[in-house]
Amino acid sequence: MKLSEYLTPDRVAILSGRTKAEALSEMVGLVAAAGPGVDRESLEAAVRHRESLMSTGIGHGLAIPHVRMAGLKRAYMAVGVSREGIADYDSLDGKPVRIIVLIAAPQGQHELYIRLLAQVTENLKDPAPRAAIVAGEDPSRIYELLLGEER
Amino acid sequence: MTGWLAASQQAPHLPILLVIGLAVVFGTVGARLFQKLRIPQVVGYIVIGIAVGRSGLGFIDEQTIGKLLPFNFFALGVIGFMIGGELHLEVFRKHGRKLIVILLAEGIGAFLCVGALVFAAAMLLTGDVRMSLALGLVLGAISSATAPAATVDVLWEYKTLGVLTTTVFALVALDDGLALALYGVASSVAETLTGARAGEGTLRLLLGAAYELVGAMALGAAAGFVLNLVLRWTRDRARALPFVIGSLALVIGLAMVLKVDLILATMGLGAVLTNLAPRRSNPAFQLIEGIAPPIYVLFFVVVGARLYVAEMAFWMWVLAGAYVVGRTAGKMVGAHLGARWSGAAESVRRYLGLCLFSQAGVAVGLAILASDRFGPEMGTAIITIVTATTFLVQVLGPPCVKLAVQRAGEVGLNVTEEDLLESHRVADMVDRATPVFRQDTPLGHILKTMAETSALTYPVLDADGRLIGLISIQELRRSMVAEQLATFLLAFDLMQPVVDSTTEGARLGEAVTKMREQDLDSLPVVASADDPRFVGMLELRAVGRALSREIIAKRQRAAVE
Repeated sequence: MKLSEYLTPDRVAILSGRTKAEALSEMVGLVAAAGPGVDRESLEAAVRHRESLMSTGIGHGLAIPHVRMAGLKRAYMAVGVSREGIADYDSLDGKPVRIIVLIAAPQGQHELYIRLLAQVTENLKDPAPRAAIVAGEDPSRIYELLLGEER
Repeated sequence: MTGWLAASQQAPHLPILLVIGLAVVFGTVGARLFQKLRIPQVVGYIVIGIAVGRSGLGFIDEQTIGKLLPFNFFALGVIGFMIGGELHLEVFRKHGRKLIVILLAEGIGAFLCVGALVFAAAMLLTGDVRMSLALGLVLGAISSATAPAATVDVLWEYKTLGVLTTTVFALVALDDGLALALYGVASSVAETLTGARAGEGTLRLLLGAAYELVGAMALGAAAGFVLNLVLRWTRDRARALPFVIGSLALVIGLAMVLKVDLILATMGLGAVLTNLAPRRSNPAFQLIEGIAPPIYVLFFVVVGARLYVAEMAFWMWVLAGAYVVGRTAGKMVGAHLGARWSGAAESVRRYLGLCLFSQAGVAVGLAILASDRFGPEMGTAIITIVTATTFLVQVLGPPCVKLAVQRAGEVGLNVTEEDLLESHRVADMVDRATPVFRQDTPLGHILKTMAETSALTYPVLDADGRLIGLISIQELRRSMVAEQLATFLLAFDLMQPVVDSTTEGARLGEAVTKMREQDLDSLPVVASADDPRFVGMLELRAVGRALSREIIAKRQRAAVE
């Protein structure tokens, strides 16, 4: 499994939104733009429902919102970077979120979904790549940094 | 009424398959009606038979009955075969002496009581000592027979198991033999008395009876050995069926050609088969049991249709009354004394007599033989009396058997897993204590719960208690790829969609079929189709364990003497 199969450079963006709601809406927009098979509204509703159960801000400025949806044909990822940080993300360590990685997988691909989650946390567990991503100027550079050794 | 009857008797002969179809369909419907009245189904078949037969509307006349005879013989063969399958050698090894004592006591009890009463009644009516004695002897011998078919049908219908059931199975099987032997002796003595063929053939008659008994059993046993060999080489059930039915038909046909007792022959086949290879032959009995019901229905409808009691002279009614009273008393007292002398169980002592009233094939057959041998007057009397009393005991006998097995507490103990699956509801087996997770239960808590409990699948509920997903241990194992995930994964992230569920009110069999077909270990149970609130989990292995326990408990109860 390679992250590059599910993440393309055009789904990497510098976020303009300052709040959690705005940021998540932008992230959903990135995935929805990927194909006609993605229903923007239901994806956004699913992401919000998941956040209502428990925040996906796992600390160190990183958030990994993740959902499985019945309608999806394949898995998609999107990455958003916030220069200012999103203070209202309600992350586990209370710090503002700077990197958001959204994972949306089809309902039936549970194993892939978990592997994507694991791979993203693995690639971003050290402070160095996180700092580089936050400092990254353009999306293609951020893309390469996120894929890590896979490149 | 007479005109209508006459018209119906002139009705054109219906195609035989139409008669069979009508008999089976309406017999079954009649049986359902009687079952609703808590009367054994076999009475329903017979009453429908009486209604459409010679005593009723006359749709099934003598000629039609003649055409149906092969089916009748096949039905008797099936009955013999199934009874043979119940005769396990170990039962005889353990209870053989008991059974022989009871058999002789009830058989000879009926013989003596009927003989004495019929003799006395005939003496009063005719004053002819020799004729009265002959009638007493012949009817006495005939009265010792017990028809297995109607009796055993009640035992099967009510799924009985226990010492009374075992005893009845063995007795009705052996009764034919005893009746044939008694008839052999009695008829030869009667023949000498009436001077029908004075002095000649007494030995021959006895030899004839011996030939019928030994020949029949030898034929059946030989066929049993051969069929066992065939079954050993045929693993496939579908291929075994023609062999089993074929052998059965062969034995029935050969028994008729060789003029030996048909029921005894097929009984021999069944008994040899079940004792040679109890496990391997089990499918054979299941196959025959599977095809048997319509054959039984037809058989009993025809039994009813044959009964003809419209034109009986007064003195025949008196003799018939003496016969029924004598037979009932003789069987009751004989069975009780036999059971007491042999030290049989309390339930056998008390209730066995009630199970032995039925009479049919052998009794009617012997009556026909007797009518052949003793000339028109006595012959007609014997045939009419046996027919009329058969009518009575066939209708009254099965409810008595039911009463006996009920009182003995043996009803419903001989159940299979299939029976229990049909009789239970999901609500009876659902595990209401299954741990449940909320959507926001974290992975850490889930793992802890799984470590402490033994379920294979755990439900995930929303805030209203509705089932929204399932987490199985197997699926969860695949989620164990990264430790970091444990901190932020929730039940919501890990759950799988609910593929299928069942309701509390659903039949257990239905739910188990669902699980087996979809290869599921467990099935979530919700309150009802309209109320999706989660009730509990139904686990396949727990259902299996519970059913085995129930079956074992019932068998143990049946085994306690």
